[in-house]
Amino acid sequence: MEVTFKVYRKDPEKDGKPGRSNYTVEVPDGATVLEALLKIRDEMDSSLAFRCSCLRGHCGDCMVRVNGSSRLTCTAKVSAYTQKGPEISLDPLRNVPVIKDLVFDWDAFMWNKIRATKPWLDASETAADGESIIPDAPLQDLRKVMSCYNCGMCDEGCSVLPVDFDFLGPAALTKAYRFVFDPKEKDHKERMKVLEGPKGVWDCVHCYEADEHCPRGIEPTKRIIAIRDEAFRAGITNEKVARHHQSFAASVKESGWLDEGRLAVESEGLTNISGLMKLLPTAAKAMVRGKAPIPYMHSKRPGAEQIKRIFEKGEAEKK
Amino acid sequence: MPEFDVVVIGGGVSGLRAAIAAKRAGASVALISKTHPLKSNSAVAQGGINAPLGKDDSPEALVQDTLAAGDGLCERSVVQSFAAEAAREVLWLDRMGVPFNRDKEGRLDRRAFGSNSRSRSCFADDRTGHIVLQVLYEQFQREGIARFEEWFATSLAVDGGACLGAVALGLRSGKLDSFSARAVILATGSFTRMYFPSTVSVGTTGDGQALAYQSGAALMDMEMVQFHPTVFPKGQGLLITEATLGGGAEIVNPQGAAIQIVKGAPRDRLCLAIVAAAQNGGGSTCLDLKPMGKDKILSHFPQTHELLRSVAGLDCTKDLIPIHPVAHRPMGGIETKASGETSLAGLFAVGECACNGLNGAGRLAGNTLAEAVVFGKKVGEAAAAYAKSAAKMSFPAAKLAAEEKKLAALGFGDAAGDTLGNVQAEVGRLMNEKVGLTRDAGGLQAALDGIKNLQERHQRLRVRNPSKIYNYELTSHFEVGAMLTLAEVVALAAQARKESRGAHYRKDFPAADDGNWKNHTVARLSQGAAQIEKKPVAN
Repeated sequence: MEVTFKVYRKDPEKDGKPGRSNYTVEVPDGATVLEALLKIRDEMDSSLAFRCSCLRGHCGDCMVRVNGSSRLTCTAKVSAYTQKGPEISLDPLRNVPVIKDLVFDWDAFMWNKIRATKPWLDASETAADGESIIPDAPLQDLRKVMSCYNCGMCDEGCSVLPVDFDFLGPAALTKAYRFVFDPKEKDHKERMKVLEGPKGVWDCVHCYEADEHCPRGIEPTKRIIAIRDEAFRAGITNEKVARHHQSFAASVKESGWLDEGRLAVESEGLTNISGLMKLLPTAAKAMVRGKAPIPYMHSKRPGAEQIKRIFEKGEAEKK
Repeated sequence: MPEFDVVVIGGGVSGLRAAIAAKRAGASVALISKTHPLKSNSAVAQGGINAPLGKDDSPEALVQDTLAAGDGLCERSVVQSFAAEAAREVLWLDRMGVPFNRDKEGRLDRRAFGSNSRSRSCFADDRTGHIVLQVLYEQFQREGIARFEEWFATSLAVDGGACLGAVALGLRSGKLDSFSARAVILATGSFTRMYFPSTVSVGTTGDGQALAYQSGAALMDMEMVQFHPTVFPKGQGLLITEATLGGGAEIVNPQGAAIQIVKGAPRDRLCLAIVAAAQNGGGSTCLDLKPMGKDKILSHFPQTHELLRSVAGLDCTKDLIPIHPVAHRPMGGIETKASGETSLAGLFAVGECACNGLNGAGRLAGNTLAEAVVFGKKVGEAAAAYAKSAAKMSFPAAKLAAEEKKLAALGFGDAAGDTLGNVQAEVGRLMNEKVGLTRDAGGLQAALDGIKNLQERHQRLRVRNPSKIYNYELTSHFEVGAMLTLAEVVALAAQARKESRGAHYRKDFPAADDGNWKNHTVARLSQGAAQIEKKPVAN
């Protein structure tokens, strides 16, 4: 079958501007996109840069966007992408700084963020002899998480990274899950501080795109939410987030629904003058449109007393 | 120029373990890896890692099984020291965070694997290598070891009979740099990519063995290349872990009828039996995973199930999987002592690129990962100790300029329409047909003639891509050159060994000849030509 590959190009040694090269190549039945790329590099254009290693779905080195969707090229069959015609577009992942052609900057994209979370167990080199006795269930969960390719497809799907590249992102947070929930992790206070800090778990907007993109079915969003739950359990250290949750709960407890104005000012902190000042432009715009919620001027919902009793019952049980 | 006590080349399991051990022994360490370490071929290891932890097991039992698989060519003292350390290293991995599968009591579960006489392979589902590699990379980062990821080592610096470092090309920077070192550890993996099909990654091209050999170090038992019995042979070849056989899978004919094969036989015998069954039974042999039940397939072999679906388009809970033996892991490599010392001072080697006599003429399933961590630690510590005591010698000043000249010269000339891909495809076919599972004098001579011809074609091939950054044509030129250098040694060693033993089966000499051949083959480069000698097995 003759197929034309339209491949994204960028050459940092020339003008560095993105472009595209078309390669028409004969591929055998059953060929993968990676086999076609290797053939193009060998026979047509040896300057074409792309990464690959294991060739068969073990390592996650070769992902690109095939006709717009992120895929490992070593398991993507050419025939699956030519049903509408013998043309296939190949592009780097989204949200990713490209170095050359389909080769991107791993470190900036993912590894620097993973490293920021201290991605190792502080295990002792010499410990008591003998096996550690641990039930399999938590380890089974870790094996699922550690089947991760570190391919970055979850980060490429993330809704937050395009607007805030400094967000740790689902890949680094999923890596962190592996330590937070490892029965061998003795103390994760320091780790939780990083995960909970600015650009950490609280910045996830739970759009679930990461779960849609993960080729291993690891469900990164579920992992991020689990780290949040662990933060609730252990005591939230991020003060703004703690204030936000306290205010949210207090508002609903008192009036049966959310006082948005109160939530905004209490999250910033009532004594945090500079933080409160930052709210003013938004408040002014909302006011012009008649939508500014005035803090504490908030009527109770019907049934608010019942909601309050639910809170009180929950608080009593917690004690 | 960066200076270190120890420079490790290769970022798979053995390289990472060696780097961690050398650093914890007090050395300053750098690791050079041509791919990101997590993308190395170690990630492909599936079935398990041997540790004699069971109540019914002992280091001595592991010694006996290893010797049996090695078929007379193992160095007993190396095997004994390996067996004594294997359990400790697996427990170390467990402490560092490998979430090994547990049995009902919460102890490390162990599966039946290959020709092990006991269930002794600890495992993390069917992704053992992938997960061990991740945990080692975690600890490697914890140590703050200098990382040179996506750096390709182009040569070793040798002066006054000692290795003093290496020169490497940064793929991202496009620049060559010198790495001065008191000790260099090669951990570059195997060379099986010289076969097609094979079970290995695209970069498993024997770079370290070729560098060592060209620098004067000896290679040992290079004719011993293990084929893996249960590989889906189409496309690139997809290995299905032999642990499926231990778990209840059966080898059957295409109609689903069982074939009488001893499942616990060493891999070489299993491979020959599968080929014979295919020839006698009309065409192909299949693996039937259904006898173990869908639940066990999905819980114990999730990756096998997933990859067979995506790569082969088969559902192993329902379909039979066509299998054929495919080139897997060599037993031979750079000749070393148990400490990893090679015949060149200051140069160490470990893991699949090395040959310390552990594996003899055949690897025992589950020993490869165990070997990588046991000897990774030993060799890392030995290199750190050597670096402390070695006399300080300066990196040869002219080395870098000479290397730059060598690289530039690859860009001039005319290859007349030939390509690296053509040369590699031809050596792959030649090795598979003539230096494969079965060999004979005529085929080996034809292979040697073919390899000579391919070496000449490779010499004429030019690097057309003038770019410096991520120039994979340039690195492929080195890789194909390394494979051709080693292919010749493999074929010459196979020609020399006029008997059948372990993975080496000669149709013209089908029996073992203990009188003449209870010997290793040792290859050295002497005045530009390979010399093969015998070296007695020390028992």
